[in-house]
Amino acid sequence: MDLSQYLEIFIDETKEHIQTLNDQVLILEAEPDNIDTVNEIFRAAHSLKGMAGTMGFKRMQRLTHDMENVFSEVRNGKINVNADIVDVVFKCLDCIEGYLANITESGDEGTEDNEDVIKVLNDVLDQSESVGSEPSTAAKEEPQAAEKQEAKSDAPDDRKKYLSIPIADFEKNAMQEAKEKGMHVYATTVYIQESCLLKAARAFLVFKGLENKGEIIKSVPSVQDIEDERFEFDFSMFIISEKSLEEIKGIIENVSEIEEAVIEEFDIPATVEDTTPKVEETDNKKEASKEQKSEKKDDKKAPAKSGKPVVNRSVRVDIEKLDDLMNLVSELIIAKNGLVSVTGVMAGSDQSFNEQIEYLERITTNLHESVMKVRMVPIESVVNRFPRMIRDLSKKLNKEMELIMTGEDTELDRTVIDEIGDPLMHMLRNSADHGLEDTIDRLKLGKPKVGTIRLDAYQDGNNVTIEVSDDGAGIDVEKIKAKAIEKGTITEEQAEFMSDKEAVDLLFMPSFSTAEKITDVSGRGVGLDVVKNKIEGLGGDVEVSTKLGEGTTFIVRLPLTLAIIQALMVDISGEKYALPLNSIVTVEEIPSDEIKYVHTKEVINLRGTVIPIVRLNEVLDLEPAEKDPELEDDDSLIVVIVKKGDKQAGLVIDNLLGQQEIVIKPLGKFIRVPKMISGATILGNGEVALIIDSNTLV
Amino acid sequence: MDNNVNNDLKQYIILRFDSEQYGIDITYIDNIVRLMPITRVPHTQPYFLGVINLRGVIIPVMSMREKFDLPFKENTGATRILIIKYEGADIGILVDEVKEVVTLNDEDIEKVTSDDVEARSYVTGVGKYNDTLISILNIPALIADIENE
Repeated sequence: MDLSQYLEIFIDETKEHIQTLNDQVLILEAEPDNIDTVNEIFRAAHSLKGMAGTMGFKRMQRLTHDMENVFSEVRNGKINVNADIVDVVFKCLDCIEGYLANITESGDEGTEDNEDVIKVLNDVLDQSESVGSEPSTAAKEEPQAAEKQEAKSDAPDDRKKYLSIPIADFEKNAMQEAKEKGMHVYATTVYIQESCLLKAARAFLVFKGLENKGEIIKSVPSVQDIEDERFEFDFSMFIISEKSLEEIKGIIENVSEIEEAVIEEFDIPATVEDTTPKVEETDNKKEASKEQKSEKKDDKKAPAKSGKPVVNRSVRVDIEKLDDLMNLVSELIIAKNGLVSVTGVMAGSDQSFNEQIEYLERITTNLHESVMKVRMVPIESVVNRFPRMIRDLSKKLNKEMELIMTGEDTELDRTVIDEIGDPLMHMLRNSADHGLEDTIDRLKLGKPKVGTIRLDAYQDGNNVTIEVSDDGAGIDVEKIKAKAIEKGTITEEQAEFMSDKEAVDLLFMPSFSTAEKITDVSGRGVGLDVVKNKIEGLGGDVEVSTKLGEGTTFIVRLPLTLAIIQALMVDISGEKYALPLNSIVTVEEIPSDEIKYVHTKEVINLRGTVIPIVRLNEVLDLEPAEKDPELEDDDSLIVVIVKKGDKQAGLVIDNLLGQQEIVIKPLGKFIRVPKMISGATILGNGEVALIIDSNTLV
Repeated sequence: MDNNVNNDLKQYIILRFDSEQYGIDITYIDNIVRLMPITRVPHTQPYFLGVINLRGVIIPVMSMREKFDLPFKENTGATRILIIKYEGADIGILVDEVKEVVTLNDEDIEKVTSDDVEARSYVTGVGKYNDTLISILNIPALIADIENE
């Protein structure tokens, strides 16, 4: 069977398992006796091993196998969890992640054997062993299997669904014959995890695995039905084989996402029934219906039993398909805008026609909102790796710290989510490395010994705000200024007149790092400027507020979505441009003679604030618009005041064309686009208008 | 990829600039559309006229005349925009006229050595069709050149 089609699912699932392991091991570190956690870890490690084996990633399988063994021992109470074990497991997870990265990139796990990690794992195991009773790692599988078997022997009869399967005479004969030949007849009911997406594929792997070991004489539902995925989460079968029960069970349970194989040597029903075939048949029917009922009952019971939440009714969708859908919705909005503009021209048009147009407008708006919601992903998927990172940093930097996160369920557009991870990570590292003081210093200052880093996310109108804060030393403005002067970024005079805010903003300049000691955690001089660029590239902004001695907060604001925004349409020398509404403060009409010059630059004084003026026609390489001769004496300018953080600028335009919901589109791959143009949009009449990124002009 | 020496027949779209005829391998052509309003993009490569909207997709349009340093000419009713799809992205090329589609045998196309006209660097060969000469344009080279700028 070609497994490549499952590669994507394998990668996704492996990621999930690694995440689960990271989370659970962190919990385990705090509560070493939490048996639920150990079980959870064991399950995830076991699935990882199975999946890697199925996909043929031998090295990854080996590593996960050894890791699973360690947890098997932990579960059996033979090993106590201590810091060393947690460390080696984390190391192990990093190695698995390494494999996964290779697989994602090339479809191959690479050649790194990670012998050192495997050795440490085995050392841990060896220590636990009571005088070499289990010399090889392969043998270690057995106590675990045996233990499982024990658990299984008291498995309730309703898990043994094969008991209710009617068996035809010829099947009985075949079983009888096999028995006489000294072979075993096994009956088994295989349960697949309810979260499994490819039930049929898993079942197929079970069949394939058993093919060489024996003969499957009957399966319920039929093989065909199973292949077509017409079954619930379990299937039963009868197998004739020479192999031992454990071996068969092992083969089945080695397939990933198989929850359990309830298996036992089958007692062939007495042949007495042979004489009453008719009765049996009706019995069969009854039993069959009974079986169905019990199956239904089982379905309801199963989730309750395992204590897991009911599986979400959800589907995985390729992000590209969503993009396509989004594009279609965008096109629909454009078409609708076109229709609206046409009806505007047709004066006195039919009343009912207008009503239909309005109806269409409502639908497209709702459709757009729904599609947008589909694309929204909770930031949890990004931030859930941070607790582990902070733990590692805490060890590495030898500072005690904890991470408190709130608002992990805040949702952002998928495209934003994909990009936001690195910048956030960088800010957290910064807080851990530069923000928090050393533990000794903290104690001297009378602060709590354990430093606190917070990550708070919340929605704020059309934006999502993420705050990364620490209760550390805060930023020393004078130190930054001194550093900037030393580096030649600013002159001493400039430094003197610089506000604290401006000085803090220096941190976002390229190659600016104030850390006195450069660590490999942060302070490589690439940092906050990259963070800033990335966030601005996503249409957001980042701000810092700091109080010396009390801590620093980085505030990141991101747009909810990138695809559709509200914009002000303007006319500049006869060309139409869109200005994103979220950066506009006001629109003013300014008499020409109120324009003053400061250092040869045009400024206006608007209610006490001096604001620089940008003539958009010059920036955009356009001739100034010709003045309407009739309005000769009306010598005033229309100025759109835009903001970026605390800074403002006035953009001079010729005419306001109104507010509009616009769909942002890229300008194509081959054309070089200046920084001030952030994209393009399609107007109601089908023409293209460019979107001006006012942030680049402030 | 255009230099395969075999007897394969290929179809070419024939364009005209003044008296010169150019051919483009038809497999690169996604669409041929009539002239439509082009939105200027400031501060871009000088030969890019701007962008158009083709069924919801924004496509940059370049002027072949500008790129090949040919004299400026007003657009006419015959002016067309050739939409070329290359590496998953679109680019439009404004041409004076699209004449026809011809089938040429690779053997009928002679390799050119360099010449003084800039356009020559984008020509892989010269084909003969009904006694007229057709310069075969090298689309990958043309686009690589745009991307490297």
